[in-house]
Amino acid sequence: MSVIDLKLLQETKDLERCPFPIPTGWFFVDYSKNLAEGEVRNVFLLDQEWVLFRGKDTGTVGLTDPYCPHLGAHLGHGGTVQGDNLRCTFHHWEYDAKGWCKKVPYAKIMPPVCKKQAVLRTLPVQEKWGMIWVWYHAKAEAPLWDLPSIPELESDDYVEPKTGHWDVNTAIQEVAENGVDFAHLKYLHGEPEIPPASTEFKGHEIFTDMKNGYIKGHQVGPGLAIYRFNHEGVIATMVSYSVPYTRELSKMNMSFTHKKYPEGTKEAMIADHLVKHMVGEADGKESAGFESVDFIVWNNKKYRPNPLLCDGDGPILQYRKWFKQFYPGMEDSDRI
Amino acid sequence: MAKIHIVERDGSEREIDAPSGEQLMEALRDESTGVEGTCGGSCSCGTCHVYIDPAWAAKLGPRDEDEQMMLDALGEFVEIRESSRLSCQICVSDEIEGLKLEIAPEA
Repeated sequence: MSVIDLKLLQETKDLERCPFPIPTGWFFVDYSKNLAEGEVRNVFLLDQEWVLFRGKDTGTVGLTDPYCPHLGAHLGHGGTVQGDNLRCTFHHWEYDAKGWCKKVPYAKIMPPVCKKQAVLRTLPVQEKWGMIWVWYHAKAEAPLWDLPSIPELESDDYVEPKTGHWDVNTAIQEVAENGVDFAHLKYLHGEPEIPPASTEFKGHEIFTDMKNGYIKGHQVGPGLAIYRFNHEGVIATMVSYSVPYTRELSKMNMSFTHKKYPEGTKEAMIADHLVKHMVGEADGKESAGFESVDFIVWNNKKYRPNPLLCDGDGPILQYRKWFKQFYPGMEDSDRI
Repeated sequence: MAKIHIVERDGSEREIDAPSGEQLMEALRDESTGVEGTCGGSCSCGTCHVYIDPAWAAKLGPRDEDEQMMLDALGEFVEIRESSRLSCQICVSDEIEGLKLEIAPEA
């Protein structure tokens, strides 16, 4: 069984670039400030179109399937916000952010099913760190974990995060795999050596430590990772929150921050340099950040379910086994 | 095919032939008895309400939750009897040959 299958290695025509479905997890939708009260907007993410809206009464956010359960009108074309509900333009049926039908203006009797359950598919929404997050599960199960605490995004002691956004032509599993591919840091990024690293897979989380505490990573499900770069007691933080748009196109989103230091101090300079190093804008002899080197690989590679690995490659297979928990029903698939 | 004996809203009586395999609602609708069956059989409109002859009611089996919820809601508008049913929840077969029912008033 464990003999290398040469045919599989050489015949790549049948390999897929992205054999993965949309994974389970919390995913970033947009920054809270970008969705006004009463606004209705169509968004494409998680491989389908959704209607995003914010209520006027309490400001609750909903992300709903686009098509009205009544006669199938698109709620995001002509739909309006009434109170905290999204109202379909066709017959003015109204739905709340959890998908319950709250009003049928002309029916003497509300259909009983509307009193029992939500009839419009919505995703659970949470607003945190000034961001809108949604929970996706292929079988529509309720959230299996909570978003963690990220002190750097919750306290006034930190500078306003810089943010960056990049389109990448692959699935987020492939993007995050580089986080445990320690050898590529030397050859693709130009680190002087393959950094010493340790990795702990724990439930829906991964904890990594690279270069003896220089970079500590904390991956929380497929859609959120926090990396803390530590140099001379100064910590700079990168929060990464990628979201699948389609199965083959993802948006990488990142926030960079650090403690507030007085301008001109050594600490401020170190923090600034660490942030630049993360993105790949640092001058001098630093290794390359992801922006300048990783995309050429991500955008063109194919996924090998049975890769040819060697010693020094890092815990790639453990990572893939860990990721499989986010593809319910595909535990036994040999494609992913 | 089953013969169904109907008491109409105006009190007149007649017999119809209901095709086996259909919902009873469909046969009543197609015979212009006043039954509308707007929702097609999903217990969400309440326009196919009938009173089953008490002698027959027990033979039809119990109401399910959705049907019960609709009958409860209909109760605000029309009389609900122990033998009240949504006719979309009754399947026509030889077993209901000779069933007697009364079309309930419009809500």
